[in-house]
Amino acid sequence: MFIHILFILSATLTLAGAFGVLATKNIMHSCIFLLASLIGIAGLYATMGADFVAVTQIMVYVGGIVILMLFAVMLTGGKDFVSKAQNLLGLAPSMGNKFTYSMGLFVGLVFVLTNAKLLWSVAFSMSSNEVTEAYPSTVNELGHLLIKDHVLAFELSSVLLLGALVGAAIIARPRKQ
Amino acid sequence: MEYTIGSIAPIFLAPVLAFVINAFIGNKLPRKGDWLATLSIFVSFIYSAKIFGDFVFGKFATDYFVHKTFTWFDLNYGDFVFKVDMGVYIDNMAAIMLLMVSGVATLIHLFSTWYMDHDERHGRFFTFLPLFTSAMLGLVLSDNLLSLFIFWEIMGFCSYSLIGIYYEKEKAGDASLKAFMTTRVGDVFLLLGMVAIWMVIGSVGYVDIYAAIAEGKFVGQTVLGISLASFAGFCIFMGGMGKSAQFPLHVWLPDAMMGPTPGSALIHAATMVAAGVYLALRMYPLMVIGDLTSFIAIIGAITAFGAATIALVQSDIKAVLAFSTISQLGYMMIGVGVGSYNAAFMHLITHAVFKACLFLSAGSVIHSIHEQEMPKMGGLRKKLPYTFFAMMCCTLAIAGIPFFSGFVSKDRILGDALYFGFMAGQSPLMAIVPILGFAGAGLTAFYMFRMMFLTFFDKPRDHHIYDHAHDEHLDARSNVPLLILTVFTLGFWYCGTLTGQSFGKVFGEKTEWFKILVEAPKVENFVNHSREEFSTVDTRAGVELEKAHYHHQTGYAGPNPDEHKIHTAHTIGAILSIIIAFSGVFIAFLMYIKKSVKPLSGKFPEFTKVLQAKYHFDELYVGIIIQKGLLGLNRFLAWFDMGVYDRFAVDGWAAVNRTLFRASKWFDNVIVDAIGVDGAGVAVNLFNLVLRIVQSGRIQFYFVMLVVVLASYIWTINI
Amino acid sequence: MINLISYLLISLVLFFVGVTVMVARKNIVAILLGIELVLNAAALNFVAYSKFVTNNLDGHIFSLFIIVVAAAEAAVGLAIVIRFFQIKETVHIDEATSLRN
Repeated sequence: MFIHILFILSATLTLAGAFGVLATKNIMHSCIFLLASLIGIAGLYATMGADFVAVTQIMVYVGGIVILMLFAVMLTGGKDFVSKAQNLLGLAPSMGNKFTYSMGLFVGLVFVLTNAKLLWSVAFSMSSNEVTEAYPSTVNELGHLLIKDHVLAFELSSVLLLGALVGAAIIARPRKQ
Repeated sequence: MEYTIGSIAPIFLAPVLAFVINAFIGNKLPRKGDWLATLSIFVSFIYSAKIFGDFVFGKFATDYFVHKTFTWFDLNYGDFVFKVDMGVYIDNMAAIMLLMVSGVATLIHLFSTWYMDHDERHGRFFTFLPLFTSAMLGLVLSDNLLSLFIFWEIMGFCSYSLIGIYYEKEKAGDASLKAFMTTRVGDVFLLLGMVAIWMVIGSVGYVDIYAAIAEGKFVGQTVLGISLASFAGFCIFMGGMGKSAQFPLHVWLPDAMMGPTPGSALIHAATMVAAGVYLALRMYPLMVIGDLTSFIAIIGAITAFGAATIALVQSDIKAVLAFSTISQLGYMMIGVGVGSYNAAFMHLITHAVFKACLFLSAGSVIHSIHEQEMPKMGGLRKKLPYTFFAMMCCTLAIAGIPFFSGFVSKDRILGDALYFGFMAGQSPLMAIVPILGFAGAGLTAFYMFRMMFLTFFDKPRDHHIYDHAHDEHLDARSNVPLLILTVFTLGFWYCGTLTGQSFGKVFGEKTEWFKILVEAPKVENFVNHSREEFSTVDTRAGVELEKAHYHHQTGYAGPNPDEHKIHTAHTIGAILSIIIAFSGVFIAFLMYIKKSVKPLSGKFPEFTKVLQAKYHFDELYVGIIIQKGLLGLNRFLAWFDMGVYDRFAVDGWAAVNRTLFRASKWFDNVIVDAIGVDGAGVAVNLFNLVLRIVQSGRIQFYFVMLVVVLASYIWTINI
Repeated sequence: MINLISYLLISLVLFFVGVTVMVARKNIVAILLGIELVLNAAALNFVAYSKFVTNNLDGHIFSLFIIVVAAAEAAVGLAIVIRFFQIKETVHIDEATSLRN
């Protein structure tokens, strides 16, 4: 019962947040809507019994990346964001520009249809497992997997983070004018 | 006598040597080399006389012959056999003919040295005359049809040169070409006949042909549905028709009188025209098994009579002699046709002698008065006594007056023709042969004496010519040849009796030598003949032949011989021909000396014109056959070649090429240049345009593309 | 009843929305937000499959690494945005056309 409620709430939050990212004109609002969506996804993880992943999601994504985005918005003058350029057909773009939305919808439709094909072949051939109430904790096992089976990916990801760290610092450092 | 190369070859080679020397350095020799030619012919005469003596006085056997061969070329290869032998074949007939030809030729050469003395073609004449004589002697000596044909053609060429010797005269050129072309028609048939014989036997030697006939190799062979023997015989006889001026190939001989008279004497009396009869006599067994003898007899009869009718109205002395030659050749062919082998050959010999004498006498007349037309002559008896005497004897011979040679031979022919026509069981059509023969004999007597009377008797009709005529003196070169020939126009040289009919045997058996020795070849004798090599050594086995003897031979080799009936026919024929000959002379006497009978030409003017136009044969051949037929065909073929073939096959290619050129030019310009070269640039521009849109630099556009492509991948994967 | 298909649908919609954001928004930072949405949809997919199909934890591991990589990529991406702003004085996407033509 709890699971179902959690599920519905999380799903609503996720989807509402996603649509919010799409719809709002203000970039700050988009970031907040993304934050909400990410929290909803964490909830969805929780319903599936992926406890560690859910928590990691909140800590890293919500607490780190979105904050970073907000900083970037503040550093690039998001509030005063006015676009001068034109879009594909030479019309002045705005948030409610019909063409860009229709383009996006077109792309989304393509994707949906594609995925429908995928899903159709996959989904109904799977055994329909239900979500049950009791889950084992995944932390121990994830720890074991990270060190034993996926140790290479683990190490490489740490190298990757180092690289990203250094790179970002170099790219965005202030230049002497 | 030994028969080796040394004893036979000089007959043929001596005149050839004279020809070669005269051809190259004749102009530098004194008198243009005429003495050299005469000497060479005399050498041939000596050798021929030796052979004649051996055959007639030595061996005296009917079936005796000498046959020597040598291989000309031999192309044998495995199964394929092709061997051509050349050689000599001398039997009694050939020996007599050799003597006659070389003797007459010697006298003619001697005469020509006087006749052609101030003629501008003197050297040329004496270049071709010995060549001609050597060709004839080679022809008589040859043992196969191929070498006969070679000499035949050489004679044709010499005749062409001699007739057209005055080449500045257009008529002479036309006449020589006409002679050559007409005999050529016959020669083509002769070659065809030779090929036909070769196909059956594989050789064209006389001996091989006789042996093949005896073995029956010709039986059952057909070509184009007719028996091969008939076909070959007909073709060979056509060759003889051309050379011996039989109807319908006789048109060349009158025009051949454009040549110098001694040349005519040799060519158209003694030698070339006799070659056709000689060929028919040699090929007589073939004619027999080909059933052609009746055909030959009819052709001969038509020729004999027709030419005699034309000669009645001719006014040129040489034309009369020309037509009389054609007529007498017709008699020889009658002889071959009716089976009178011996008499036909005898007539050939006797005709050669007296016709040569007649031509030479005519030449003497022409030389003295420089005129050929008889209406302008007259009363030349006193001016040219020796010529007159010679010509008179020869005219008596040709008219068939008894005791002369012409009577002997012609009467025997007519007697056999009478038997053949009426009594030998042939079809009634064959009666034409003796009828025309006797009629022609009468006409012969008439027109020859007409000629004599117009020329030598009566009062001179043109005093200018008469006064300026050279008087004749006995001269070694101008008269003696005539007189020598005249001696041999007497009958008793050829047969023992004075009349030729064995009514009175005067001198015994051997005087009938001619009749005994010359006989139609018995083909059975040649079946197992062995070859002797013609070399410097005589390799004959010493075979003694049975000496011939006079045994009531009739000399008749035709169908159904019945000795008693033949004798009857000969008796009737003799009486008939004497009557006819004398009446002919008498009528001529009445017409031209007594003038009591008007010449019939006045009564039948249109017919006279037809005769004078020689029955319009020239117009027929030239105007219709050549102009309309052959030239029409020629024009058609030329049109076809140029208009059709050239236009389409040759010029058409140019049009095709032009079209191909235009097509390839279009292809090059449009497809290669416009589409290929320029099009590549345009395509690049087009793609450029498209790519410019794609490479907009806008990231979101790239992303859309990315998604679309990804989706397309997924859609195309079969999951 | 919550089964695999529901999670897949959610991730589908998320993805669709994320792609639309990427295409439709003109601010570069907004595009980066869309990228985050897409990545999250993928991670959700992985975990869903891990729970309902394979019954091992490989999906979880993969989701963890997706988070790690997303963090690195967001850091670098934003550094680039800041740099872009330092040069062009704006963050409109249509100004980034140096690779045009």
